[in-house]
Amino acid sequence: MSGLTERVIKVNVVRAAALYAALIVVAWCALFPMLWALSGSLKKEAGVSEPTLLPAHPQWSNYGLVFALMPFWRMLLNTMLYAGCVTVGQVFFCSLAGYAFARLPFRGRDTLFLLYLATLMVPLTVTVIPQFILMRTFGWTDTPWAMIIPGLFGTYLMRQFFLTLPTDLEEAAILDGCSPWQVYWRIMLPHTKPAVMVLAVLTWVNVWNDFLWPLVMIQRKDIATLTLGLVWLQGQYVSRWPVLMAASILILLPLLGVYAFAQRAFLRGITVTGFGGR
Amino acid sequence: MASVSFEHATRRYPGTARPAVDDLDLTVDDGEFLVLVGPSGCGKSTALRMVAGLETVDSGRIRIGGRDVTDIDPKDRDTAMVFQNYALYPHMTVAQNMGFALKIAKMPRAQIRARVLDAARLLDLQPYLDRKPKDLSGGQRQRVAMGRAIVRHPQVFLMDEPLSNLDAKLRVETRNEIAALQRRLGATTVYVTHDQVEAMTMGDRVAVLRDGVLQQCAPPRALYRDPANVFVAGFIGSPAMNLFTLPIRDHSVALGDWVVAVPRDISDNAAEVIVGIRPEHFDVGGVGVEMEVDVVEELGADTYLYGRIIKSDSVISQPVVARAGWRDPPARGSRLHLRPEPDRVHFFAPDGRRLR
Amino acid sequence: MTRTRRRAWAGRVFVAPNLAALAVFMLFPLGFSLYMSFQRWDLFTPAKFVGLANFRTLFTADPLFLIALRNTVVFTVGTIVPTVLISLVVAALLNRKLMGIGFFRAVIFVPLAVSSVVMAVVWQFVFNVDDGLLNTMLGWIGLGPVPWLVEPGWAMVSLCMVSVWRSVPFATVVLLAAMQGVPETLYEAAKIDGASEWRRFVSITVPLIRGALSFVVIISIINAFQAFDLVYVLTGGNGGPETGTYVLGIMLFQHAFAFLDFGYASALAWVMFAILLVLTVLQLRFARRVSLEN
Repeated sequence: MSGLTERVIKVNVVRAAALYAALIVVAWCALFPMLWALSGSLKKEAGVSEPTLLPAHPQWSNYGLVFALMPFWRMLLNTMLYAGCVTVGQVFFCSLAGYAFARLPFRGRDTLFLLYLATLMVPLTVTVIPQFILMRTFGWTDTPWAMIIPGLFGTYLMRQFFLTLPTDLEEAAILDGCSPWQVYWRIMLPHTKPAVMVLAVLTWVNVWNDFLWPLVMIQRKDIATLTLGLVWLQGQYVSRWPVLMAASILILLPLLGVYAFAQRAFLRGITVTGFGGR
Repeated sequence: MASVSFEHATRRYPGTARPAVDDLDLTVDDGEFLVLVGPSGCGKSTALRMVAGLETVDSGRIRIGGRDVTDIDPKDRDTAMVFQNYALYPHMTVAQNMGFALKIAKMPRAQIRARVLDAARLLDLQPYLDRKPKDLSGGQRQRVAMGRAIVRHPQVFLMDEPLSNLDAKLRVETRNEIAALQRRLGATTVYVTHDQVEAMTMGDRVAVLRDGVLQQCAPPRALYRDPANVFVAGFIGSPAMNLFTLPIRDHSVALGDWVVAVPRDISDNAAEVIVGIRPEHFDVGGVGVEMEVDVVEELGADTYLYGRIIKSDSVISQPVVARAGWRDPPARGSRLHLRPEPDRVHFFAPDGRRLR
Repeated sequence: MTRTRRRAWAGRVFVAPNLAALAVFMLFPLGFSLYMSFQRWDLFTPAKFVGLANFRTLFTADPLFLIALRNTVVFTVGTIVPTVLISLVVAALLNRKLMGIGFFRAVIFVPLAVSSVVMAVVWQFVFNVDDGLLNTMLGWIGLGPVPWLVEPGWAMVSLCMVSVWRSVPFATVVLLAAMQGVPETLYEAAKIDGASEWRRFVSITVPLIRGALSFVVIISIINAFQAFDLVYVLTGGNGGPETGTYVLGIMLFQHAFAFLDFGYASALAWVMFAILLVLTVLQLRFARRVSLEN
């Protein structure tokens, strides 16, 4: 082997090392707040600023305290209920509408779709106040009803997806005499699993993390969501870090679970729709 | 301009059983047009990319102009490549595409402009200089890819199946243009194709590869007349050479009922031989191997007859292809005789090697 | 043909729920909020028509509006510029076939899944002047404790830091996807043309992901401009300390749900909408002109 080859190998190793180092730095930046929260949640209040990652005597009692200070299980249930309802509703209605916009011919279809797109771009700030007043008029403020209204953004995703499916499936079904509903329900829907997964995950995460809407709508503790609960806790027990961190970790865990489970679908969804939560 | 040589060059992709390029030894002379040809997966593109530096060399060396470039970055090798899909920069105009490499080399703007105009004139691209690739036809894009290579005045031109994305007629036209261009520029060129017609018409020498191993490297005529083994014999020439594996009896072999003598030095040492006769080397007439015609392909200037050999008045399953003239082509189902031209019969050993 | 008519009818029925929701929850609010911006209303007493008074007060008699506007602009710029730069670099880092790259990609995208609210609480802890991680780490290298969330200027810096931390993963996903759409042969051609790694990044990668970049910038502007969740949880609903983090989103919430001045809040919402619209159109126009020039 000539000296040239040795140098090439050395350069490659150095380069690889530098890349991995950079990646580790970036990964650390992404994770350190949560790791810090985890370690903070296990410390005693006095020693909270100790720069150790894992304290000598982990205080699991902090987690117990969370359950004592806020109705965690109730809020978890509420949040799951809202997320579940909204997700199911969004998946159902938006895939139906998405299919219609993609494949069913009716007058004004494309104009309506453009209108729909345009309205999506209206910022939340403009609509939140009237929506609040609307809810109040219906008498739905401070009730679960306000929280389970399905969203609309999924229609865009589903329409784009339906456009990519081949038309032969439907044509065969139509020739066989299926009604439009049957075509949708029996033929198209089974093929939409990836898009539905993406939409479901995105919706679930969005509802779970939502803050402004619950803040505006809910005053009662028994129908509150986890995010709301955390902020109330923060207001009450300012600077009691271990408890706050324990609560944060508890709220993060279910989402991290969902994320780990649906990671690839989630990422694909973000790139396809361009939505990433506010 | 410079020579290119492969010295025991080998490339094995991790996890594969055999190397993609196996111990290749080949030299392209200064100013020569060398074609690397072979079926899919034979390693021709890999070999080309090894010269470009886009493929690592697992063992052996590559030299350009005598300089060992095996460990040198592509950007320092002074080669230019025309890709199969052209790889034009979609966000740049034709002029910018052609001038990109020169800009990187920090050439003065006026000089870049001059070179780009020269190449554009050579390739009839002047009206398109300010267009983007997406506004060009396939043939125009191909010329831009060539132009991008030409302006650099590199030591070596590398072309990776540049014609395979063009339609048949354009392919023939462009083939001639490329060959003419190369002669005019006197540029050392390594050209990869899977089409043996391109190889035969364009190359000064043609290197036939199979499964990563060089089968034969010779001028086209030599490949046609004296193929080094059965594979080359069958690969070069279309329709392919007829190859019959026959037992030797009494220093001769029997094609159907027709007897062909086998030279003594071969028949003394073997019990079996592979006989090769090209379709165009049969005289269609009253004497010779009898065949029954199954398919007649009339191509205008020639007619090709596909059929099976007849032995003892019954049709056996040995297929044979013959070329007939364009006058009075025989009909399907008819029987005729093919006499092989005596000095056009090839003999190969059972392992494929050429014997005569 | 009855079949086509049946499908058309089905189409209308299928989109009806969506459109109904659109009308009720989007179009009606849009119109209603515009209507409200010309009223003075506090939910309990009947509304009173005041014409353009809300807007006039906003632009001439409310110093807080200008403060909020300035803070929002600072926050937006302070979020977007670092986000775009950092995510370009991170996406380029992740756009490789290194061993274990899948792990790093999964890790870097974790912040996407977690709630702004939760992260704000955690970052509060990180920023804490006495016990926080940052000041502790600064203490190791001998730098004095920084009044992160205590001093108005630093509070804005803290806010931007969290916002960047939050936005980079999303931007990185979008940019990475765009980068992966760039064909490998283009990089090979560039290598042969003599381009170094940096040159390839600047001349090939960046121009070819222009669409994604533009998208990231627009979405980031829209999100940063309306930021509320993060600010509310990190520094409290008053935009403190001392209006240091008093952004338009906070101002809106305050006027609507604290002061119950719905008319004024609606006027503010529409002004924000108008500014956003102008910004988005300008941004699109600019992006198109840049691409034409190239």
